[in-house]
Amino acid sequence: MYFYQDPQFGERMITLMAAFVLVLQIAMVAQRWLVTNIRVFAAQSFLLASIAGTIAYYNHAPHIYIAAAMTFAVKVVFLPILMERLVAKIEIRQEIEPLINVPLSVLISGGLTMVGYVVAESFYHPEAGTTPATLGHNTLAVAISLFLIGFFMMINRRKALTQVLALLSLENGLFLAAISLTYGMPLIVEVGVFFDVLVATMVMGILVYRISETFDSMDVSKLRRLRG
Amino acid sequence: MITTLLAAVFQLLLVLCISPLISGIIKTLKARLQMRRGPGVLQSYRNLFKLLRKQMVMPDTASWLFDAAPVMVFATAAVVGLLIPMITAQAPLSLFGGVLAVVYLLGLGRFFLALGGLDTGSSFGGLGSSREMTISSLAEPAMMLAIFTVALSANSTNLSEVARSAIGQSWRFLAPSQMLAFAALFIVLIAETGRIPVDNPATHLELTMIHEAMILEYSGPYLALIEWGASIKQLILMTLLINTFYPFGLSTNWSGASLAIGCGTYLLKLLILSTLIVLVETANAKMRLFRVPELLAVAFVLGALALISTFLF
Amino acid sequence: MVLAALLVIPLLAAVAAFVARRRVEMEWINLVAAVLTLTFAVVLAGSTLQSGSVSAWGGLLYADALSALVVLLVSIVYAACAVYAVGYFRDDETNGVFDEDSDGVPAVDRLRKYYSLTPLFVCLMLLVPLSNNLGIMWVAIEGTTLASVFLVTFYGRPNSLEAAWKYAMIGGVGLSMGLFGTVLTYYSASLVMGTETLVGLNWSVLVTKAAQFDKTTMRLAFIFILMGYGTKAGIAPMHTWKPDVYSEAPVPVAAMLAAALLNCALYGLLRFFILTSRCLGPEFASQLLIIFGLLSMAVAVPFILVQKSFRRLLAYSSIDHGGIMVLGLAFGGPLGALGMLLHMTFHSITKPLLFFCAGNVQQHLKTDQFRQAKGGLIHAMPITGAVFLLTTLAVTGSPPFSLFQSEFTILRAAFDGHHILPAVLFVGFLVMIFAGFLIHIARLVLGEDPGTPHAQISDWKKYSLIGLGAVVVILGFWLPAPLFALVQSAARIVREVH
Repeated sequence: MYFYQDPQFGERMITLMAAFVLVLQIAMVAQRWLVTNIRVFAAQSFLLASIAGTIAYYNHAPHIYIAAAMTFAVKVVFLPILMERLVAKIEIRQEIEPLINVPLSVLISGGLTMVGYVVAESFYHPEAGTTPATLGHNTLAVAISLFLIGFFMMINRRKALTQVLALLSLENGLFLAAISLTYGMPLIVEVGVFFDVLVATMVMGILVYRISETFDSMDVSKLRRLRG
Repeated sequence: MITTLLAAVFQLLLVLCISPLISGIIKTLKARLQMRRGPGVLQSYRNLFKLLRKQMVMPDTASWLFDAAPVMVFATAAVVGLLIPMITAQAPLSLFGGVLAVVYLLGLGRFFLALGGLDTGSSFGGLGSSREMTISSLAEPAMMLAIFTVALSANSTNLSEVARSAIGQSWRFLAPSQMLAFAALFIVLIAETGRIPVDNPATHLELTMIHEAMILEYSGPYLALIEWGASIKQLILMTLLINTFYPFGLSTNWSGASLAIGCGTYLLKLLILSTLIVLVETANAKMRLFRVPELLAVAFVLGALALISTFLF
Repeated sequence: MVLAALLVIPLLAAVAAFVARRRVEMEWINLVAAVLTLTFAVVLAGSTLQSGSVSAWGGLLYADALSALVVLLVSIVYAACAVYAVGYFRDDETNGVFDEDSDGVPAVDRLRKYYSLTPLFVCLMLLVPLSNNLGIMWVAIEGTTLASVFLVTFYGRPNSLEAAWKYAMIGGVGLSMGLFGTVLTYYSASLVMGTETLVGLNWSVLVTKAAQFDKTTMRLAFIFILMGYGTKAGIAPMHTWKPDVYSEAPVPVAAMLAAALLNCALYGLLRFFILTSRCLGPEFASQLLIIFGLLSMAVAVPFILVQKSFRRLLAYSSIDHGGIMVLGLAFGGPLGALGMLLHMTFHSITKPLLFFCAGNVQQHLKTDQFRQAKGGLIHAMPITGAVFLLTTLAVTGSPPFSLFQSEFTILRAAFDGHHILPAVLFVGFLVMIFAGFLIHIARLVLGEDPGTPHAQISDWKKYSLIGLGAVVVILGFWLPAPLFALVQSAARIVREVH
């Protein structure tokens, strides 16, 4: 058979792409320019769609193709275009200094990755009989790391739009976890989740726009009037 | 015994001769990408010959360090050149050290260069030295982590062992740990050789210099030694990068055919890496000095991730 | 058929309100939808009492007694708020709240936003108890967040934007954790059931096989579910969005968030609690829930004692009641679940009334700060003041009101399960909250006449206040037998470990 039909090759490619996804997530933590952040997110989602497609190919699970296609359409094309238009409208291009400075936050992201690996270890059942998902371990570690680093980014960043991006990368991590654990959830749930993500981003985009209009900045640390 | 001696001499000559060529190739490629003609690939040789014949001018306040620095830079770089497999999988002096020796010899050279910069008594020298030390203190851990990753998968810190064990396995370079380590080491390469986006090797403004500021007061043969040493260091780091991660074509025996193949593939890989460096240089602008730690922190984390993933992937 | 109708009616109302021209049309559309929903909810409750469970759409929708109870409560709250909203927004218009807005948006368009988003919100809230698939349940709850964000920013003030942003962000993160918990649940189920089945996430199927799930994964899954659905319910420490949102949103929206959405979030928690206790036994989940329940009450106490705004006071009361319900669930035993569900029922009827009173006061005095409101409200607003005081006593659990009975049941469950320390803390917190509430509200309502002019409140508001107040008083003495039967069968579903 050809080399691309060998399942070992498929597994290596998936592991490689998962590693790139992780690298892109760390790049997002270190990145200052909003437009670059959006593009890194688009690249990350593209890799995720590819991972989903590769899994679908090697495990003959056609319903994952649909999930991959939806990821591509929504997270690689539509949402980045939406957000870039928003950035153009608001005309704020750069992130301001985050709460924890960049080198330290990159190091913290590395630490969170290790935590993700440790958590994923507990899922590794080499003796599990009936589960067909054998890629659980590697990509699950990346997925949990994505989740943790996205969470960290939400706390660390001060611009509203970057917080939205962090939330979206968190959802990316969840998608990867679902794919690697159980080949994705039932199709109707996947469709629902995508629809939710889409509407959520649009809603938050509108909110970000209104915040920038009202407060003249996207800095969420200025939203401190309501206390007690 | 004789073969080892011959191999050592041959590799030394190779290192000394090819390093200015590589510098020239990089400069010319960069010029061509920027729609200029460039100085030509042999220009570095011409520079070296010119400098070797020129009169030397030294500052009054210089001490023995001023004389020692160029020699140390050149010597350490040349010795490291003998420790790394270039054409043959077995580096000539491989018995004398592995990864750690490489890192620390390069560190020794850098140390003396920084001292030499301070010794000149000019403020720009001190400026360059402190910047260089900042960058290298962040780049060294990243480099070590990346190299240890590779060493782990070969179960040895001897670079020849690493190269030899890697030749047999196919698709090994697709493993995430290798890719991450390559990325980390690439960033370190850019930092250590003073390329954009860390430092501009062609700048004339003293306030933006890092490497150039340290050697501002050097002239004549000393400057020739330092420049040669710098280009040897660049060649060494590039060779380290390509031969530990992609050791295809390294010859394992002394037959003429495999040596020729080794030579050819080595030059080809050097060219590809030079193109990559030039692309990165052209596509980016020089970073502010205070942003460089961020880039190196990313390299460090990549190296750490590479190390962890050897255990887990 | 009933299930589909429950979802379709609010959806049609939302569309109809979107295209309606005049405010009166929108109001009547909302009222009719509310009444119809309430009718169907009662029908559903009846049929689940008779036949146990109802399902539709090939098992996608499923209702047993627990779902029917939550549906009924949501519909009651919807109906009450629909009636109140008419008067509330009419008074807003009379007071000129919509004129000072700089967007120049006419009142009708603003009200259109409210009247089309609210039925959509209710439809999604009804989808939560009615969906069988746990993933769809998650989608519905996330949908309620999205539908209510713009309801929170209704007045367009900077404070509302801030509140909406916090709500969206904290809700988004929390619900992502909930999604992760759902994925983990699916994973531990797939080890038993395989992943090819379409019904892999259906609760009615999962609950039969729950005992065989992978234990470690279920533990982790429940923690994430608790954090996720707990964020929506406002359990500490994920409660920080509640005070902001409840003080900035218009009163009918806040009442629905506090009384109806809380129920839906706790419903989600309940379903997963049942799965977890069947898999791991009740101790693990109970211990976690006790900690979070006590933490919620503990967090609420200082903020109620020292509070400057009565809208935020209500939010902390809601956090406190969320904690009480979670504690009821945690104490377990035959009385724990019963106490929790009774508390849910009574809370859903009493809480909106509290919000309505506060809304009346805020609209009349144009402030929600205690200091500016001075005292002696009963002179200027006799009905509102009296009902406010009455509801305060009801909400803090004084006899003879209904909440006292449910809290007492929970307390008995605590002693039955030998949770002595939590029980003592529980009583202590209740007493402190009672004291804090009474001090603030009594000072607001009673006292000398400060000379504020007599309030002109709309008849709609007056009657909704009196009507709901009468229900609250009556409930203290008499609980209709069918309702009690519904609560009991719902509690039985929660308690069954086999």
